Amino acid sequence: MSQLARPDRIDERALGELIEESQDLHTDAMAVGRATLPDLADHASDRRRAGYRADSKTVAEFERDRQQLIHRVAMAVGGVFGVGAVSYAFSSTASAADGDIDVMQLQTAVSLELLAVATYEAALTLPFIKDGNPVIVKFAETTMSQHDEHRQAFSAQTKVLGGTDQTATNPKYTPIVEAAKAKLAAPIDVVKLAATLEEAATDTYLADLSRYTDVTSRMLMASVMGVECQHLATLLAVGALLEGGAPELIAIPIGADIAKLPAAAGSVAFPDAFADVSLASPPEEGAV
Amino acid sequence: MNEPTTTLSPSFTRRRVLGGAAVIGASLVAAACGSDSNDVTSPVNSTGSTAGSQAPDPTSMDSTPQGTATDTTVAGEENINLQVAALAAGLEVLAVDTYQAALDAAGAGSLGEVPPAVGEFVTTALAQHQEHLDAWNTVLSGAGAAEVTEPNATLKPTVDAAFAEVTDVVGAAELALMLEEIAAATYLSAQNVLTDADAIMLAGSIQIIDAQHAAILYYVLGEYPVPDVFAKTDLAVS
Repeated sequence: MSQLARPDRIDERALGELIEESQDLHTDAMAVGRATLPDLADHASDRRRAGYRADSKTVAEFERDRQQLIHRVAMAVGGVFGVGAVSYAFSSTASAADGDIDVMQLQTAVSLELLAVATYEAALTLPFIKDGNPVIVKFAETTMSQHDEHRQAFSAQTKVLGGTDQTATNPKYTPIVEAAKAKLAAPIDVVKLAATLEEAATDTYLADLSRYTDVTSRMLMASVMGVECQHLATLLAVGALLEGGAPELIAIPIGADIAKLPAAAGSVAFPDAFADVSLASPPEEGAV
Repeated sequence: MNEPTTTLSPSFTRRRVLGGAAVIGASLVAAACGSDSNDVTSPVNSTGSTAGSQAPDPTSMDSTPQGTATDTTVAGEENINLQVAALAAGLEVLAVDTYQAALDAAGAGSLGEVPPAVGEFVTTALAQHQEHLDAWNTVLSGAGAAEVTEPNATLKPTVDAAFAEVTDVVGAAELALMLEEIAAATYLSAQNVLTDADAIMLAGSIQIIDAQHAAILYYVLGEYPVPDVFAKTDLAVS
């Protein structure tokens, strides 16, 4: 890879058209979503009247799961950011005034989306990103926008279920990101940080699915999960190309250079046959 | 509203999937004990319907919460979980067969020169879909239902016809993308009807991998790898 020249290639027009097409699809999807809001509001009203709250057994399971995660996440990211910081971030107990597990999970999701938006926004101010590979810039801009759409959708669903909107970034990952931001010196650093956040979101949403009592909320989260995991796959592939010394192959469309891609590019984005939840945030972590 | 029948902690890991699949099947049998309707041990075909009966319309399913479920409702929920498992297995058989056919065609030189990354992708995706198939068949056999060995009967003719037109790597990638999008959409759609917590997790776990396969295929085909803001169910098979 290292012998390859670094051509300045990107079909900006084609990429722009693809993104525009994606935005059109999103507009259609949001229209469908808005059409269902009246029904969801009725459902929320029913839930409030019924006084639904998480039972003590479920809450106890969350607490146990969180303790298990302290060690797991510390081992996973502690090598980069410091085990102490990870453990500290876990040590605070978020309140869950709303007490509704569906609402808690949505609030935590909002906190993760807010942090993702803030992180991509900050990355786009870094000289080696904003003045670097145009595909990475486009990816950061588009992904930031998609996360904001996810945040809006989760916030809307929180309100539909009668919960309080979360407006703060995730309490566990925010100090980790802040500590990491000071050390960002190259595109690969940003890609790894972003990949960690995308994996945390994907894992969290997967772990949440089976706990939802509200199927609409579960479907929304599964839908967003299906996008976050693609962000992650893209970042893993981009990271491999950066680390492999082939940044020129980060191009859309790749065209004939597809023949130059290393074999590993065909598998690095999905190292296992099944996704796991090793970086999942517990439901109460970002609860209001 | 469907409420999961059990909960699964974040200790869910890849290593647990196959073991968990057996547990799913066993739990479906246990939950159905005492019911005399919707026999969960009935053979289930690859389109997801129980032999001798018509598959229910998922959109009209009983959404009675677990706490108020009758025996009949519980059996119905197990039935839909097994129907989804069979549907998923049929899709996985189709994916395995198609990727294997692509590998065979590449080996025979029918697709022209195959870039190393594409070869690696096909090999990896084939192996992962085989693992997905094994997981769903473990669910089915654990519940006493027949394992699925035939591809989804609805899609197979379409895929066969499309494959007959494939002459190069791009054509093969386009067909693979179609299959991955159908699978990911089907797993997403399944969240609407699944009631067993472990089945929900298994479907979600596989949805992620298939969506990631699709992202890389988009890139290979020169398109943006994350085209949608929200994953869609338009292509879901029911």
